[in-house]
This record gives sequence, structure tokens and C-alpha cells, in this order.
Amino acid sequence: MIKYIDVVKSYGKSSPALKGINLHIRPGEFVSIVGQSGSGKTTLVKTLIGEEKIDSGQIIVGGWDITNIGQREIPVLRRQMGVIFQDFKLLPKKTLYENVAFAMQVCGGKYKKTKTIVPHVMKIVGLESKMHRYPQEISGGEQQRVAIARALVHRPKILLADEPTGNLDSINTSEIIDLLLRINKFGTTVILVTHNREVVNRLKKRVIVIDSGTIISDKEEGKYIL
Amino acid sequence: MLLSIIRVIKFSFQDVVRNIWLSLVTIIILVLALFTVNMLLVVKVVGNAAVGAVEEKIDINLFLSPDSKEDQIESLKTKIGSLSEVKEVKYISKDEALQQFKKKHEENTDILQALKELGKNPLASTLVITPKNLSDFDDLANQLYVIEDEIIESRNFSNYKIMIDKIEAITNKVSEAAIFLAIVFIFITILVIYNSVKVAIYTHRKEIAIMRLVGASNWFIQTPYLISSMIYTLVGIILIMIIFLPFLNLLQPYLETFFVNYNVNLINYFYGNAIGIFGIQFVIATLINMLASLLAVRRYSRV
Repeated sequence: MIKYIDVVKSYGKSSPALKGINLHIRPGEFVSIVGQSGSGKTTLVKTLIGEEKIDSGQIIVGGWDITNIGQREIPVLRRQMGVIFQDFKLLPKKTLYENVAFAMQVCGGKYKKTKTIVPHVMKIVGLESKMHRYPQEISGGEQQRVAIARALVHRPKILLADEPTGNLDSINTSEIIDLLLRINKFGTTVILVTHNREVVNRLKKRVIVIDSGTIISDKEEGKYIL
Repeated sequence: MLLSIIRVIKFSFQDVVRNIWLSLVTIIILVLALFTVNMLLVVKVVGNAAVGAVEEKIDINLFLSPDSKEDQIESLKTKIGSLSEVKEVKYISKDEALQQFKKKHEENTDILQALKELGKNPLASTLVITPKNLSDFDDLANQLYVIEDEIIESRNFSNYKIMIDKIEAITNKVSEAAIFLAIVFIFITILVIYNSVKVAIYTHRKEIAIMRLVGASNWFIQTPYLISSMIYTLVGIILIMIIFLPFLNLLQPYLETFFVNYNVNLINYFYGNAIGIFGIQFVIATLINMLASLLAVRRYSRV
């Protein structure tokens, strides 16, 4: 599904953020990428969604070589990949329904299709009864679930979660992780980028540990070892 | 695709309305720029009318001696008529000249009384020569100076060219000032549009970031701002039409007083050519504004 071959990425003349990353994530896997702040996790995410260009190496996503992806192709890549962040990135003046529908509308989604898919994904994340509320009227965990619903509207093959529980308490964290596991069971490849030790250890899934731009550990049913 | 276009247009209108004060300032500056451009056009029309009015009067008079014979006059007329710079040669006999003189001064009893007391026709028969072009005036005058003929009594070469040059000089000066003002306003408009788009993008930075995240195309993200600038231009053009045509109504009486007996009708000119005048202004202003928007969008929409 995702292949990183000798990927090097540096910012200016400073030490490279990614130093020859080799990585292979298979379809349907649930992978946690862990590491301390500044280890290169975010750079990895940015190179995966086409936000940053790499210096050398090769990145292949679903058989598509995105190493030198053009500006016009980036939207196509991002529609195949759902992305959620720590800060939810919801629009406060839109209802939850509108926030999710927005992702379809800006990509040319038809009105009828939007009307069918949005309630469906809202049901998956368990917020079908709160669709017409505004983000500020619901909890942080629920806001993150809306972000997940939005990420799911394009039926992505990959769901990339960059520190999705960073702003949440333990109960909400647990709910979000359970939701990600459920989405993974549907066949979606889930990549969880986090530095939450408890979450990673509880998952008992593949763990890739990055430190100073290098993969120092990659184990099935791994643990947070830093 | 049609759905995307409709959504892009909807977002454009939302953008204009959400930043209403900025939109108003942009439109006002645009209207000022268009006003100067139209004033430039008014100066051109009035200047051309003034030159035309003087040009109509341009002729050269050769006064002939009272003893001139028909065949001598005809021979001189043919000779002058054959000059390449001459458009027309007209012979006005003594009697015709007297008739014209009386008609011209029919309200001036003193002159008519003096003429009566004189008891005879004091006017000479004349050859009235019209040059083909104003630029030929000097050459023609020089050639007429060297024609020697005993029947020529005197020559009147009033140099209208100087007058026309003066009018043209004034028109050009005013035009230059108007062009300078127009350039200043166009430059300000470009800056204002550029900044309006910049602020609009800043206002929508969160939405743009989400659009990029979920895979909206660059076209979808950037086009609303280009359409917003087109909306500014369209509103600006409509406003200038609403403002400028009544302004011409105010100006017209003054022009009519100044150009008595000459048809200088700005209102007819602008109404007659409204589609051309304002259409061209809309196209050019749209292109300039869209270029300014494009520069701002390219620079600031990478959220």
C-alpha cells in the first residue's frame, strides 16, 4: 500500500529530518508511528500527503509513485487518503453536517450523494443525532469524531491520524482509538502517528519507532520503546 | 463541473459580502479610476470638436482687382485648383460678397447705414481656397505667395493653424494630466484589489487549509477570488454608468454655450457608443483586476 525507499528529507542546511527511511505498509494494516517531538514523524506525514517534497528516494502509494507529484495531482492523492489532526480543523460557523458535507462539496460532490453519504459516515462515528449542532456545542472527542467522519466521506483506502488524541482526555482517547480500530476492520489502512505510550501499548499492533529521522524499531505487535 | 462552477460563484459572492467594507473601498477606488478614464474620453471628444470647429473655418482668400475679367479669373481659378494641396476653389463675385456682408451684419444698422452712404460696393471679388488638409496650410500659403497675377489685389492668409495647434496643445496637456491620473488610479486599483484578495484569503485561511486537506483542486480554491474581482469590476462599471451619464447631463449645457452653432453632444456620443465605451472598459478593467487577483491568490492561497 505504502512504500518508502531510502527517503531523505532535509530543511535547509540543518541535519536531515528523514535520513534514508525504508518502510512498507501493507493494505489493511493498522500501524502506529511513534517517536519524540522532532523525531521526524510530522515530516513523514507531510511527505505522505504531498505537502513536502523529498530530497532523494522514492515514495509509492497504492502503486502510484508520488515522489515527484505535481501540484495538480496532489488533490487526487488527498482524496484517496483521509487525514485527521490533533486540532480537528472544523469550521465553527458550519454545523457538523455542513462540516462533513463541505469536504464533498469542494471536491465536486453532487447534492444527492452528499445527502446520502454524510448521514452514513456520521452514523459510523456515532454522531447521527447531533448532525445539526455546531462544533463548539460538542466535546473534543466528538469534534475529533466529526473530523474522522469528514476524512471518511471520500471512502479513502488510507486513514492517516496525526496525533488524533493529543487534545483529548483518556475516555475520549479510548473512544477515538476504538473508532480507528473499527474503521480498520472495514479494510481501511490506518496509520496512527502518536507519542501516547498507553495507546500504543494497548493496541498490540505494528509499531514503527522513529528517532532523529531514522527508523530504530519496526515490530508487529510492538510497544512504545523510547 | 456545472455544480462546481455554481459553488465557485456562490463562494465568490460569500467572499464579497463577508468582507463588505473592503469590497466597498475596492469598488469606490475602481469607480474613481473609471471616472478619470471617462473624463479623458470627454477631453478627447471636446478637443476634437474644437479642432473641427476651427478647421471648418479654414480658408485662404485672394482678393481680386475690380477690373478683373471673367477669363482672367477663370484662368487663375484653374491654375490654383490644379495645386495638389487644394481641395476647393470658390469664386465669390463683388455682388455675392456684398450680399454675404449684408446678411452677416443685418442686425448692425450702423454698418448697413455706412454702406448705404458710401453709395457703391466697396468689396472686392474673391477666390476662396480650401486646403485638403490642415497640415498643407503652410505649403499652400507659400505657393500662393509666389503666384504672380495682375488681377490679385491682396491676399489674406490668416493662420488658423496656430489656433488649431494651440487647441491641440491644450487638449494634449489636459489629456496628459488625465492619463497620469488614470495611471495613478489604475495602479491604486491594482494594489487595492491585490490587498482585498490577500485579506479575503486571510479571512478564509482555515477553510482553504481544509479544502486542501480534503483534496479540493487548486482551481476550486483559487477561482472564487478571481470571480470576486470580476464582481468588483462589474459593480464598478454599473456604478460609473449610473454616475457618469447624469454628470454629462450637467456638463452638456456649458459645452453648448461654448460651442455655439457646433454640434458637440457628449450625451449622444456616450449613449450612442455606450456598449463600446463601457464594454471595453469592463474587459480591460476585468483583465487588470484578475491579473492582480491572480498574483495575490498564487502568493497567499498556499495555506
